[in-house]
Formats: sequence, C-alpha cells, structure tokens
Amino acid sequence: MFFGWNRAVMNRIFGLFLLATVVLASGAWAQPQGKAERRDAIFLRFPEMAQRYWENPDTNAASHKVVAVPMPRQCTFLYADSYSKGQMSESEVQQLAVSNCNRKLAELGPLGENYSVDCRCQVVVSNEHYVVPRNTLPTESYGPVSIFYRDPTGNVARLNGLARYGALIGRDRSVTFNVDNPRGERVCDGTFTNDGPASGRFSLSCFSGKFSSNGTYQSKTGSPNDHIIARGHTGQGQPVSMVIGLPAQLAGGLYGGI
Amino acid sequence: MRILAVLALTAFVPAIALAQSAGEVERCFQNPAACNQGGGGGGGTAVQATPPPAGGGGHATTRPAAPAPDYTTVLQSPEPDRRKIQESLRTLDKYNGPIDGNLQSDATIKAIQDWQKGRGTNPVGKLTPQEAQQLNAEAARTPIRRVDPSTQTATASATPTPVQPPPKSNADALKDLQARLAERRRAAEPKAEAATQSLIRDLKAYVAADGKGVAGDQFADFAKWYADTKAAGRTVGEIAPVIDDYGDVKAGAAVATEVLLETKKGASNQSQCLVFAWVEGNPRKDPKVFSCDDIAGVEKWKTDQSLKSAWR
Repeated sequence: MFFGWNRAVMNRIFGLFLLATVVLASGAWAQPQGKAERRDAIFLRFPEMAQRYWENPDTNAASHKVVAVPMPRQCTFLYADSYSKGQMSESEVQQLAVSNCNRKLAELGPLGENYSVDCRCQVVVSNEHYVVPRNTLPTESYGPVSIFYRDPTGNVARLNGLARYGALIGRDRSVTFNVDNPRGERVCDGTFTNDGPASGRFSLSCFSGKFSSNGTYQSKTGSPNDHIIARGHTGQGQPVSMVIGLPAQLAGGLYGGI
Repeated sequence: MRILAVLALTAFVPAIALAQSAGEVERCFQNPAACNQGGGGGGGTAVQATPPPAGGGGHATTRPAAPAPDYTTVLQSPEPDRRKIQESLRTLDKYNGPIDGNLQSDATIKAIQDWQKGRGTNPVGKLTPQEAQQLNAEAARTPIRRVDPSTQTATASATPTPVQPPPKSNADALKDLQARLAERRRAAEPKAEAATQSLIRDLKAYVAADGKGVAGDQFADFAKWYADTKAAGRTVGEIAPVIDDYGDVKAGAAVATEVLLETKKGASNQSQCLVFAWVEGNPRKDPKVFSCDDIAGVEKWKTDQSLKSAWR
C-alpha cells in the first residue's frame, strides 16, 4: 500500500519535472537576446524590410513585428517580415513570418547544389528583440551563387556554390567577395566596384588566378528574389555570367543561356 | 585561298589553346586543391586534375552530388602533420592548447570549429584534406605570429625552419589592395578630421547662439531640426562626429560625417543621428543633411558629386 502510494507520488513528481523541463526548453529558444537596432547588420542587409520594420507608419506601429530568415547564417539571402493585424498574437505573427519565409524558399527551388547545410527558416527578431543569439546572425552578406562560363567550343560550365561579400553593395565604393564550392572550399575571390546605386563593375579570380573575368554587374530587387547579375568576359574573351541570390536551378533558368 | 585558311587557323588556334574548357573549369571548381597543385597559371590553363567526364562537360551539364566529406585522412595522418595543424590553429589565434597531435581533443575540435565558422562553413570540428591544406596555407600567410610566453622557452631551442614564401595568391593581392586603401585613408585622415572638427565647431556655435550662425545658414535642415527640438522644450547636449566618407570631387574635397546629437528634457535623454555632407569651401558648397538611416540618400549625394572616395 505504502509502496503503491509512493510510486504514484514519484510518477506525479516525474511528470511535473518533465512538464517543467518542456516549458523551460520551449521558452528558452524564444527568450530575448538583446534589443534590435535599426542599424544592425540584418536590417542593413535588407533595406526594404528595414524601412517597413522601422519607418513605414502602416507597419512600424503594429503591435507585433517579426522577422524570419533561413538559418544558419550563410543561408540568409532572403527574409520574411510580418506584422500583426487586428488581434493577432505575437505567436501567430511568428508563425506567419516563418510560413512566408518557408514559402519563399520553396518557390525559389532547392538549394542542394549551392549549400551543404540544411537551410531552415526561423524567427530571429520579434517585437524589436532578437530571439536567437546575436553571434549566430550574419555580419556579412551571403547568397547562393552560380557562375556560367562558355568555352570556345560552346560548352557551358555551371559552377554553383555560396558567395559571401564583406559589406553592403551600394553603400561602400568597393566590396570584396568570395565564392565557396558546396564543400566549403574557397575557390574564387573578387571585387564589386560601385559606379551607381545598383550597378558597377566586377572582377573575379578563381583557382589562384587560373580563371578570371571582368565585367559589369547590376543589383536587381523584387521577384523572384533580390539578386545580383554580373556579366563579363575572360581574358580570352569568353563570356562569363555570375548570379548571386538565386538557387542554382533558378539562376540557370534565368541566366544560364549565355 | 589555302594559305588564307592556314593563316586564319594559326590565328585562331592560340585563342582556343589559352582558353580553358568548360569541363576543366568545373573540375577545378569541384576540386580546387588538385587544380592549384597542378600550377600552370601563366597560360591561364588549368591542369586536368581528374579525367574528363563523358560528354566533355557539355552545355547544361549537371554536376554529380558532392561526395561525403573525408575526415578520416586528416585524423589518421602522421603525427607531424597533426601537430602542424595545431600549430596553424595556434598561429591563427584559434588554439591555445598543447601541440600534441591530438585532433580529437575538445580544445582542438573547438579551434577547428572556430576556424570553420570564420569561413562560413559547417563547423564540424574535423578537417578534410583540402581544409587542412587551406588552414596551413592561411597560417603560413599570416604575418604576425603570436608568441605564447609559456611555450616560448620550450620552443626557443628548436631551430626555426625557414618557411618558403608561398606564391602570391589572389587573397594576398586583395590584402595588398586593402593595405593600399588603408594607406590612402591614412593620408586623407588629417584633412577629413579638420573639416569635420570645423563643422562641429560651427554646430556648437549655432547651438550656443541659440539658433544663429553659419551652420544653420548652410544646413537648412539642421536649422529646422534645431528649431523643432527647441520648440519641443529640449536642449542640445553632446555633439559627436564619425567620419562617413571623404574624397575628391570636381569642386574640391567632399565630406560626409555622421553626427550624433544628444538632446535633453528633464531626465529624458535622446539622441539623433544626422549625416552632414558638403564640399569643402568658404562657405561650404552643396551642403545637405540626411537622417543616418537614409543610406540611399547619402549615397545618391555622393554619386551626384562623382565622389572619388579616399575613405572606403
């Protein structure tokens, strides 16, 4: 009798312990990790989103404001920002942001040819506070990259990987970038030199200078996703195109026919 | 006619010989280490590291999925190689543990993860042979070597082996470029600083004179901001500048400076960030004030001025 009562109590205590653990764990991921600022890297990376989040009176004043991006940091080439309407709770706005982010990712197509990591959307800013550790967020700009090269016999090389550029194109005069292949090996370096708000010149050098190209680039905003298209030639005059910001298949469909 | 054809062919053949095939470029992209080892950079032709795939890398080729990363080769490499990796990690300031060749110690795994994170790759804490090669090359290029006082005496007796300088890589060329840009900026700093301090003096004088002075005459938006601030019952406190850009334009030298203006009302402190942009002169030419958030506006002003930056 005593033993049976004791076991029931033990089970109840264990159940309470489990419940407490689950509650603590579920709350931990969403705990604020510091206040977000207008000039933080994530907002400088996506100026249109920053404008809605901080300035546009229609969205800025919403009760709940959430930003979701694909993570880890090298996946943050798109975003979804959501704002509460009516009586929406913070949790509902978070779900909406993640859902929109996932939809964008799905619409752009698979990333497996560019990335070796699994990119998944998650909420990073909620009501002007970070909900992920700040050191997990990107301080540089990342995006999938595809380089197309047509050799003298008409064959086309398609090189897909990940591009990283050190600062904001448009604000800085000259920006260096590098390209990693899907195995994470750095294969190319280059520079964007800004001539106008959304255009300029680029140079690219791969495999210790064995393959290089120069030309011009344009930043394009909007559908299907913000991206950079750079077009140039090798020293031998062969055409090269480079697309940053679109997954391999989409980039190939739009710009692969060089 | 035949001579013409031969001449045309001889003119065309070198162009083909110098240009790389699409297949070679793809193979180099997939395996840059093997491509780099082959040398041959002068002619712009990559060495064929692997046999060409069937079809010769034709139009719209699809690459095979990347093979699973090989971590065992490095983990089972000879002890001197494993020690070398730890030394490289130490050179890069990632590792402060013993040089014992144990790549599976917590400290070494963490150091490798830190290095991989810095490159934006998956921080698995283990290295592929290519990564090990890149890590060692990166350490060899690092000019400043950290000396750990606790190990200095132990390593002092060992005669340092002279390291052959690696051929200048593209990364080195970029570093050189960055060094030149830094030098150009250092040369511009005194003038930029003087111009900015002159602006700050004018702003402070305008505030001290309660809304009178050249700062308001030249920067109409600042005069309006000051009037609004005053009307709100706030007083202006600290004025702190950060130079945003400096360089040459047709009419002289142009400056863009972020200025943080603190305002107070009772116990409430606020700060306002404004970008002042102008072309040096007396009076200042083309003066303009922007909110610090208006990055596009500032950049457009610079573009309109055809600013050749000595700052960025």
